[in-house]
Amino acid sequence: MKKKFLALLLVCGLVLTLAACGGAPAETGGNDSASGNAETQTPDDTATPDDAATPDDTATPDDAATPDDTAAPDDTAMLSGADDASDTAYVQDKGTLVIGITDFAPMDYKSDAGEWIGFDADMAKAFADSLGVKPEFIEINWDNKLMELETKAIDVVWNGMTITDEVKEGASVPDAYCRNGQVVVVPAAMADAYTTVESLKDLSFAVENGSAGAEQLDLLGIPYTALDTQARALMEVASGASDACVIDLLMAGAMIGEGTSYPDLTHTLQLNSEEYGVAFRKGSDLVDVFNQFWADASAQGTVMETATMYGVQESVIVK
Amino acid sequence: MLWTVTSTLLTGFGTTLKLFFLTLLFALPLGLVISFGSMSKFSPLRYLTQTFVWIIRGSPLLLQILIIFYGPGLLFHLPLLPRFTAALLSFVINYACYFSEIYRGGIQAVPRGQYEAGQVLGMTPGQIFFRITLLQVIKRIIPPMGNELITLVKDTALVRVIGVYEIIWTGESFTKKGLIWPLFYTGLFYLIFNGGLTILFRKMEAKLDYFK
Repeated sequence: MKKKFLALLLVCGLVLTLAACGGAPAETGGNDSASGNAETQTPDDTATPDDAATPDDTATPDDAATPDDTAAPDDTAMLSGADDASDTAYVQDKGTLVIGITDFAPMDYKSDAGEWIGFDADMAKAFADSLGVKPEFIEINWDNKLMELETKAIDVVWNGMTITDEVKEGASVPDAYCRNGQVVVVPAAMADAYTTVESLKDLSFAVENGSAGAEQLDLLGIPYTALDTQARALMEVASGASDACVIDLLMAGAMIGEGTSYPDLTHTLQLNSEEYGVAFRKGSDLVDVFNQFWADASAQGTVMETATMYGVQESVIVK
Repeated sequence: MLWTVTSTLLTGFGTTLKLFFLTLLFALPLGLVISFGSMSKFSPLRYLTQTFVWIIRGSPLLLQILIIFYGPGLLFHLPLLPRFTAALLSFVINYACYFSEIYRGGIQAVPRGQYEAGQVLGMTPGQIFFRITLLQVIKRIIPPMGNELITLVKDTALVRVIGVYEIIWTGESFTKKGLIWPLFYTGLFYLIFNGGLTILFRKMEAKLDYFK
């Protein structure tokens, strides 16, 4: 009897899942009635046009104008892509600046309270403020950053990004705001033996896939293992899986040496010098807005103040 | 420390489980529909379904996730689906195709004579399916389904490629702070959950063992 009951229950379960499938149109029906509700709500809103309209019109006529603008450019942006529309207007209309980042101290990282902080995060918040929009941070897969920009999944990449030819080709990059370099990291015990470029050829390397460090190793013709983050490359060296890795100077300063999780690692040779920049969509007019913002923030001392707070004052570029 | 890490990982595992259960909810019935399509007597529908199943099963799930999330924006300048929705959609389509083949195997394993017997008794095709075939199908597909479900739990780790913060992503974010063990600790969550699934499927198998 019990078994029969269970069998019946299982059949019911399967039939129910079937019903759930057939239920899709029914759900749409539900949505229709929901939108019906929305429609019935609209008259409610318009029922008190005096209340709704008056404060907007009197207090901030600009605000009142903006929603009108919103409707039109949004529609056109959807149909024709961002090519001809102003990116600044697009961001201001939707009211948020979506900032693509990774967890990358000291530029973007989470405070104990779970809020995104860091030199880049704080400056990005100030930039969003200057546009009059809310900042929204999204952790992205770094390999996909250009795709994220192009598809409008994010509005800006602001994450200690090295300016490379590849980035300049796929996105619009304003003036650089920070100096950086790629350094070789080895166990401290081995440091003395590897101080020249020639000596590096004997080592096995780990590096973040597609990073500026990987580019340097390509130039030198040194083979390497590519991993998905710089932190993973450090882990390779710490575990002995690779002899050395190439990471950002800024990151090396923050993550290795005494008082960190990698006390036995040190950085030796600097392979190049490069610059950090942010990236906007190709052809975006936010580039000029950013350059103006950085000049203003430099003049007001905000840039230096924030840089000092996160220990990057020696690398930052003040205009 | 262990508690902070565990609670952070649990939020990531919440996303993993949400993806798992929602995929099941939609892919189980959709799989049955696809299996009917690939057994259809109407040959154009049959070939169409079989081609679709071939494409979905024959290409990496990782690529399908990338295409479903970025594709609309890259190709047509359309607004994107929310990240989780895109991940869910690719999982539902992918797993429905795998399930459909399991259902097909189960349905076709029921001897032809039983359909004929049903017909002789004057039952409609619907009655034959629900009263004779279905329970036997359920019994037969339980072992391969268990296999597929365990694979599904582990495959959810792929969605971090489009920035859905499941448990491996959460574990990996600790390595950026120099903490390595949480990444490997995530394995324990998978093991415990899959252990539960295994036991559940054993029990169901035992309960349905009263008929051959």
